[in-house]
Amino acid sequence: VGHWGFVWLAYGVGTAVLSGYLVLLKGRLRDAGAELSALEQDGGRRTR
Amino acid sequence: MMASNRVAARSVGAGAGLLLAIGLYLGLVVAPPDAVQGELQRIMYLHVPSIVTAYLAFFVVFCTSVLYLWKRDLRYDAVAVASAEIGVVFTGITLATGSIWGKSTWGVWWTWDARLTLTAILFTIYVGYLMLRSFAEDPRAGARYGAVLAIIGFLDIPMNHFAVYWWRTLHQPSSILRAGGPSVASVMLLPLAINFMGLVLLYAYFLLERFRLERIRHKTAEVRLKRGRKAYERERPMHAGESG
Repeated sequence: VGHWGFVWLAYGVGTAVLSGYLVLLKGRLRDAGAELSALEQDGGRRTR
Repeated sequence: MMASNRVAARSVGAGAGLLLAIGLYLGLVVAPPDAVQGELQRIMYLHVPSIVTAYLAFFVVFCTSVLYLWKRDLRYDAVAVASAEIGVVFTGITLATGSIWGKSTWGVWWTWDARLTLTAILFTIYVGYLMLRSFAEDPRAGARYGAVLAIIGFLDIPMNHFAVYWWRTLHQPSSILRAGGPSVASVMLLPLAINFMGLVLLYAYFLLERFRLERIRHKTAEVRLKRGRKAYERERPMHAGESG
């Protein structure tokens, strides 16, 4: 691997880690939000 | 309130993207190759800002952990957990890019050099912190033990910074945070500074989003607790009857 190969490898790994974390974080936010609203809706139905 | 926070987070994220695009262009296209290391030195524009951002993240964990132990407010703990997770991500990038840089200049992916070892220990401490937090059954006990671990773990950072002066290491000494000012040419310092600002903004964006996740989880736990309490109160007379 030439010099540029190592440079691209480093930037590729950095980009993959950061975008992977962003995607995972968005997924966890979506799941947590859905769980909370399901709980709240269920609670609302029970009180009615 | 929630909607305005999300707009603020998106603006911070867009700012991060813009700065990183400029910084990468300057670092990979405009800046000249290094006189000694040639093109390989361009890894510095990602490696150095990553570790400085990780230090910033762990400094936030340290401050909010002290505040949590003092005030016992779970909001400080939520910021600490969020920042620790992001700090681990940036330390992971630093270790990976450092390893690639090491292979291309020293000929090895890893060596037990003081700076490298202390960075790996830093990574392990905060991975341990996150594991402790996820395994704790009582959130308040988890927050308390986590805060103590985070405060002790932070001591690794000054040791890591001075490791290149205290011990004989393969890793080069600091070129930016050193007495007498940076030893890097301004044409190389500019992409480094822009990438650093971009990564700090990206850290802020991740922190806002991760903090939001922690707040949603707290709210979910509260709703579950309230519901459990109501169910217990409804069934209590029945249980009291059974035991009497």
